[in-house]
Amino acid sequence: MEDIEDNEHVALEHDRLVSAISKLDKTQYITEPTRNEATNVNSEFNLIKNKNRLNLSNVAKILENTSHHVQISKKLKKTQDESKVLTKPLEKPQAERIKRATGYEETTKRVGRWDPVVARSRTVDYVTFPLKHVSTKLQPTGEFLSKFKSKSDLEKELEELDPPTIEENDEEDEKMFPMSYEEMVEHRQHIAKIRAQQSYKAAKSKRQGKIKSKKYHRVLKKEKLKQQLKEFEELQKKDPEEALKKLEALEKGRALERHTLRHKNTGKWAKNKLIRAKYDKEVRQQLAEQLAVSRSLTQKTQNSQSSDDEIETETIPDLNLAQDPTNPWMLQRSDKSNVNTEFNFGYKKFLQNKMKRNEDTDSEPSETEQSNVEKQVEKKLNKIRGNIERLERASRLENKKAKVNNTERDNLEYLKFKPTKVKAVIDEELIETASKKVDEINNGHGITPVSKVLNGDQLPAQQSTDSNIDPTRFIDVKPKYLNTALSQVENEYDQLDDDEKVVPKVNIEEVFEEDDVVASFRQEKEDEKNKDKPEDIILSLPGWGSWGGKGVKPQKRRKNRFIINAAPKMPRRDENKGDIIIKEYKDPKLVSHKVQDVPFPFESVKDYEASIRAPLGNTFIPEKAHKKLIRPSIITKAGTIIEPMDEEELLVPKNRSFKNEAVMKILGCKSKKQKITIK
Amino acid sequence: MKNQIKKTKRYFDTESQDSALNTKPEDQKVEVYNIKITPNLLKANKFKSNKNNVFKKPTHNNDKIKYKGKAPIDKSKLEVHSRGEGIGKSVKHPLHAAKLRKKEKKVNYAQDQAARAEILLTEDHGALEVDEDSKTTAISQKIIAENVDITAASKIFELNLDFGPYRAKYSRNGRHLLLGSNKGHLAAFDWVTKKLHFEINVMESIHDISWLHVETMLAAAQKEWLYIYDNTGTEIHCVKKIDKILRMEFLPYHFLLAAVNEFGFMTWLDISMGEIVGHYNNRLGRTSVMTQNPYNATLCLGNSKGVVSLWSPSVKDPLAKILCHKTPLTAIAVDNRGMYMATSGVDRSMKIWDIRNLDGPVQDYRLRSAPVYLEFSQKDMLAVGLDDVVEIYNNCCSQTTEKPYLRHRMGKTINNFKFCPYEDVLGIGTRSGFTSILVPGSGEPNFDALESNPFQTKKQRKEAEVKALLDKIPPELITLNPFDITEVDVPSMQEQMEAKKKLLYLKPKKMDFTPRNKKKLKGKSFIARKKIIKDVARKEFIEQAKEAKKILDLPEAQVAKKPSFGVLDRFVSNPKPKK
Repeated sequence: MEDIEDNEHVALEHDRLVSAISKLDKTQYITEPTRNEATNVNSEFNLIKNKNRLNLSNVAKILENTSHHVQISKKLKKTQDESKVLTKPLEKPQAERIKRATGYEETTKRVGRWDPVVARSRTVDYVTFPLKHVSTKLQPTGEFLSKFKSKSDLEKELEELDPPTIEENDEEDEKMFPMSYEEMVEHRQHIAKIRAQQSYKAAKSKRQGKIKSKKYHRVLKKEKLKQQLKEFEELQKKDPEEALKKLEALEKGRALERHTLRHKNTGKWAKNKLIRAKYDKEVRQQLAEQLAVSRSLTQKTQNSQSSDDEIETETIPDLNLAQDPTNPWMLQRSDKSNVNTEFNFGYKKFLQNKMKRNEDTDSEPSETEQSNVEKQVEKKLNKIRGNIERLERASRLENKKAKVNNTERDNLEYLKFKPTKVKAVIDEELIETASKKVDEINNGHGITPVSKVLNGDQLPAQQSTDSNIDPTRFIDVKPKYLNTALSQVENEYDQLDDDEKVVPKVNIEEVFEEDDVVASFRQEKEDEKNKDKPEDIILSLPGWGSWGGKGVKPQKRRKNRFIINAAPKMPRRDENKGDIIIKEYKDPKLVSHKVQDVPFPFESVKDYEASIRAPLGNTFIPEKAHKKLIRPSIITKAGTIIEPMDEEELLVPKNRSFKNEAVMKILGCKSKKQKITIK
Repeated sequence: MKNQIKKTKRYFDTESQDSALNTKPEDQKVEVYNIKITPNLLKANKFKSNKNNVFKKPTHNNDKIKYKGKAPIDKSKLEVHSRGEGIGKSVKHPLHAAKLRKKEKKVNYAQDQAARAEILLTEDHGALEVDEDSKTTAISQKIIAENVDITAASKIFELNLDFGPYRAKYSRNGRHLLLGSNKGHLAAFDWVTKKLHFEINVMESIHDISWLHVETMLAAAQKEWLYIYDNTGTEIHCVKKIDKILRMEFLPYHFLLAAVNEFGFMTWLDISMGEIVGHYNNRLGRTSVMTQNPYNATLCLGNSKGVVSLWSPSVKDPLAKILCHKTPLTAIAVDNRGMYMATSGVDRSMKIWDIRNLDGPVQDYRLRSAPVYLEFSQKDMLAVGLDDVVEIYNNCCSQTTEKPYLRHRMGKTINNFKFCPYEDVLGIGTRSGFTSILVPGSGEPNFDALESNPFQTKKQRKEAEVKALLDKIPPELITLNPFDITEVDVPSMQEQMEAKKKLLYLKPKKMDFTPRNKKKLKGKSFIARKKIIKDVARKEFIEQAKEAKKILDLPEAQVAKKPSFGVLDRFVSNPKPKK
């Protein structure tokens, strides 16, 4: 009993101690409301928060002990185990977007399988429909067998002489699988895959969307930029035109960024930092970095034409101007140094210092990573631009070289007040484009845009004119005296032998000859030449700038200054041909029959002419070739149903072996474009 | 149920296949496992099957094959049938490039086929061969007739006719002969069988005659007008638009009957439509020396001043003029391929010209008397008529010949003569009839039946007539260069370019916008309408300019950037650009 009392005493003591200690703390603790009894009325003052939910496992634990409730407890546990909380579904537009993206990938893959089939059917000479040749006849066995017969002796002998080549069996017998099952399995797998992909993507985007880290986004952006640059560089090698487009896109992105107020230190973050900037060096630095970024973004790319070296010199910020000793305006202001120094505190000063340092070192090593990337991009773009420029310049140079000879074509050249003799080299002898020389020259040019087509073709004329001059032409052919028979009516030489050479004593020519025949013909030729010769234009006004009137002779030099030399015409065809006049004319009736424009896929006159050079008619070429050349591109068998292509077409060896990537690509692009427009 | 066909052993069945067959007995027990097919299994199987199906090219033993494919083609023959250089690589569009490559292959195939088909031209043209010390001129028609077969010998004949100097012309397939005399005698007959189609006297002088595209129609240039008869001698037409014709030529591919008259008027009559496609005066005066150039269908006219001029119906001036002789011309002839032209003058000279390049003379011959007529055969033999002698020269164009190949003397003066196509025959129209002589090796031995067939049936003739009409060439295409049509008209292309270039620097043209009825239209005021019209016009113009820019591919004007001084830019002097 004593023990109990003792214990009670101790407990009392303890309680007292506890209450005393608790009284030391004067805060009032609100006891958590508990519900003791079942009641319908809940006091609004002590609402029970559902903080500690009923833990089923606790309940189950209690039940566990009784053998009677083992089953129930197990069930309970099981339900708890399986009830995983589903993640909150994505927002509808996002989910839709993801669904579309994956769907698009899938469809491109599925549709892409048809690319070779389509490309092949487009490139192939002719397509026959129906695609599948199924013989409609079912032969009786007897009839079928009757067609086989053993070889004759002659055939056997022939075979011995010339063993026929073994035909290569391209087509393999496809093994027949239980297709339905395979299909089913594949289908299921496929669907599961798509679903999985969708969910992966959803999860990923969700995760990424939540990331608020500035650094993360920065890195992400950097990566993107790098990726784009890489792509761009690849493109540059492959397809310069595409690359240019890409470059424009990049530029646009940059412009957009420039347009926004990003990195301008106008944001909340920057404002907060600005408060502390005065005292914290690190913060100043951060702000300066931001500003530098904005500066590098907003800087106009002035150096698109200049080379890399110039870039650095040209990126002079305004601050530089102040230090310019030659600038009087700036010098004046520098007197009021106190004003400047007043403003030059904090991060601005830091920035200035930094800029100065940059100038000195002529390099930018202490830039932040991001600005580095930006600058690299800039540099590379500039490089690319430089390359493009150089290429253009090179092509222009080439053109110039090509033009050196026919610069006279340029009207401006004619209009120059120069008394220099102009070489006559225009060439409209393009009519002779079929000549070999033109071909050779045209081969030299790779790509010829339409404007260059003409230039390229103009070159050869000169050379042809050179070839026209042939000294042998002027050498008269030596007359050959033939001992022809003479009519018996008035023959004096009748008795002469055939071999005896007889040169008539009296030159009969002289008897009949009209002296002026040759002279008049030559005069005619001269007239013809002069007829369409353009005349020089004399613009001098007598009396303008000098004395005029009767008896005053205008200065020759002055007069010559105002003569515009007419554009020399192209050389005539009969220029060096002796007593031959070839009329230069343009027949409008003939022109209406001729092609005046080079049609689409062709880029040069020469190639177009080559494409129509060969006749197709059966009076020109053998019947077999004629048939081959005029075969229609689509042959349909009359009276048959033309089924659409099915997937078996994908397995046809000729379709599978189609390997013209370029054609596939171009056709794919076309289909994609169409899709976009449909969207 | 075993209905099996016993597999016959073939020569191409290799040993291994046989053995493989043998090792698989038919009645071998096959165990069947019930395997559930999983996708992985399928994949593995696929891979395996692929591995097994690796295509092995059967290795041919080249020594075994004696005859490897088609016989190679002679390169020189290929060169003959070449159509020139093919398309280069400037077509960048991959699809079109692929298609063009295919077309190029076909063209090459056609060339190959044509070269191969030459094996079908079995006939070879003959020639006279004599000992070294004797001359071919010594061989007279009598000797030839004695030595050839009867059919050939029957081609030597003479017609003695009474109606003055005769002109003779063969039809294009060489089967029919037309004779027309100065005194109105007109006769047509199949000269091989000597079957007379008709024989009439038109009771007027006949100056020239010509077959039309078929042998059922012929034209006769009579004293006043041009008459057209059929093969029974019935007058079908009298063309009064063409009068007093001196010479006529029929251009078969253009269906044109070209004529020159006494006053120097040249006329081209399209006989398929009955239209005159060209009619003008050549201002050369009276000239009766005319021939056609079969290469480009131009007319060669020789005048009294020794000038040969080339004419086409669409151009009223000569396409070209060549001063051939210093004296009046007596005869012109152009060879079948349009390579050479032979001219002769009163000065007793004969010159050969390169008519294709319009150059020459290639050869210059002096004869003992002035030729009255010249004619080239299909195989480029030149017949020269000298009063009452015909001399035939072989190979006289590309090289200088020494002596004639054949010489035929007649007792009567020559009016004209023609070589018979596809025959070794020269038909001579003389003052008193017609003479046919054999000239070995003068005619083309191989004829193209689709082109002109000496053994044409009536049906074939009809068929050919329709086809020829379909292939008719418009008269505008008669130019010096027959391949003009295959060339791009570059000068006008340039002009177009220039025009487009100009468009760039033009202001959009102004418009008068006052409408016909000033009523308000559909709630739009006049001002609104005006604005709309203006906008549309402007947009159109801008579009055009853009297109032009695109086509021209002009390099953009580069403006050099000046260094910027910020606010102080206003103090930088800015000189105005010179215009």
